[in-house]
Amino acid sequence: MLSSIQEAKTKHAERLLELPGVVSVGIGLDPGGRPAILVGLDGPRPETCASLPDSLEGYPLCTQVTGPVEALASGD
Amino acid sequence: MPDSIQCARDVLAGARAELQDRAHVVATGVGLTPGAGGDSSVPCIVCSVAEKLSRAELASRDRVPSMLDGVRVEVVQTGPIRALAARTDRQRPAPGGVSIGHHDISAGTLGCLVRKDGVLFILSNNHVLAASNAAELGDPILQPGPLDGGRLPEDRIASLTDFVPISFLGAPAGGSLVRGGAQLLNRCLGRLGSDLRLRLVREPPSTSLVDAALARPLDDSLVSDEILEIGSVIDIASGELGMEIQKSGRTTGLTRGRIEQVDVTVDVQYGGGRVARFTDQLMAGRMSQGGDSGSAMLDAHARLVGLLFAGSESTTVINRVEHVFTGLGLEI
Repeated sequence: MLSSIQEAKTKHAERLLELPGVVSVGIGLDPGGRPAILVGLDGPRPETCASLPDSLEGYPLCTQVTGPVEALASGD
Repeated sequence: MPDSIQCARDVLAGARAELQDRAHVVATGVGLTPGAGGDSSVPCIVCSVAEKLSRAELASRDRVPSMLDGVRVEVVQTGPIRALAARTDRQRPAPGGVSIGHHDISAGTLGCLVRKDGVLFILSNNHVLAASNAAELGDPILQPGPLDGGRLPEDRIASLTDFVPISFLGAPAGGSLVRGGAQLLNRCLGRLGSDLRLRLVREPPSTSLVDAALARPLDDSLVSDEILEIGSVIDIASGELGMEIQKSGRTTGLTRGRIEQVDVTVDVQYGGGRVARFTDQLMAGRMSQGGDSGSAMLDAHARLVGLLFAGSESTTVINRVEHVFTGLGLEI
């Protein structure tokens, strides 16, 4: 049985976050407007990108360079 | 037309002092009023008033004439006119969207006001009001925040009342003792020549849902229900993919965006090498910078969707309002 995209994301999020440079895993839309698992990176990470599949449980997986995510108090 | 504008200016120059003397008049100038045909405009004198009252409600000396020397006079209600205070200034009452902070931090944003058991509280982030878990309940909260010149005791606006602790990755949650014990035991086993080694089963890292805290104003009159450039929060709403959102923050003011990701798991840096993993977050594009932490995130209808707390060069990360309210024991 196909899992929902939420289930697919939950199942793989921890593992994805252990890859070098991965800062976030969420659910959004791919460039074609289809529901996708979106992986945020702290910078260009060719090796991490090469190790990622194009899809997970049948859902597209897309990477995007977001930069490091920081708490936003001033000067922090 | 230029002649009639000059005429209106001349008439106003002669009548200005007398017009401004009337109760409720806050400004006078020359403007245009639609002509009889609707498409042409006629120069007129514009009297801005704090509150527009009917002629019957005004003393005769405070009534504004409808014509002055053949020039029409329009009365427009603008409300009182104030100097625009910066978001980093001290403001009383302090609205949502201005600088605030615990006395040990730099500065963040006063999100909005919430009520718990009928009592009014300021809502913002833990790392803004509670110094990322380091504060004690009752600690003074300054408006503006210390980076913006807030000082004790004169700028104290509230006291820290409650916060949801942030779980930092690698922080001992009873784990370090276990790890230490295992290492000691393994060293003993090694000395005994045994090949046996204890291996700790790896626990999933503890995660957080919100970076949120409450502070009780020293007096309700020190804070305002309004959020700068947005207005009052009218309800709460659950954030959804594609939803249009807006926030009013200390550093970047009013910005708008869209929820681009939901169900986000994200590792957030808190400085000093501390990282916390948050689950079930909302993510938008770039609509914030340092100092915007604590901003209330609303949808296009001024419904509260969440609490802004983190971001990167291209993203903004938001706690869901449902988790914020549950974590702080607020009624939805």
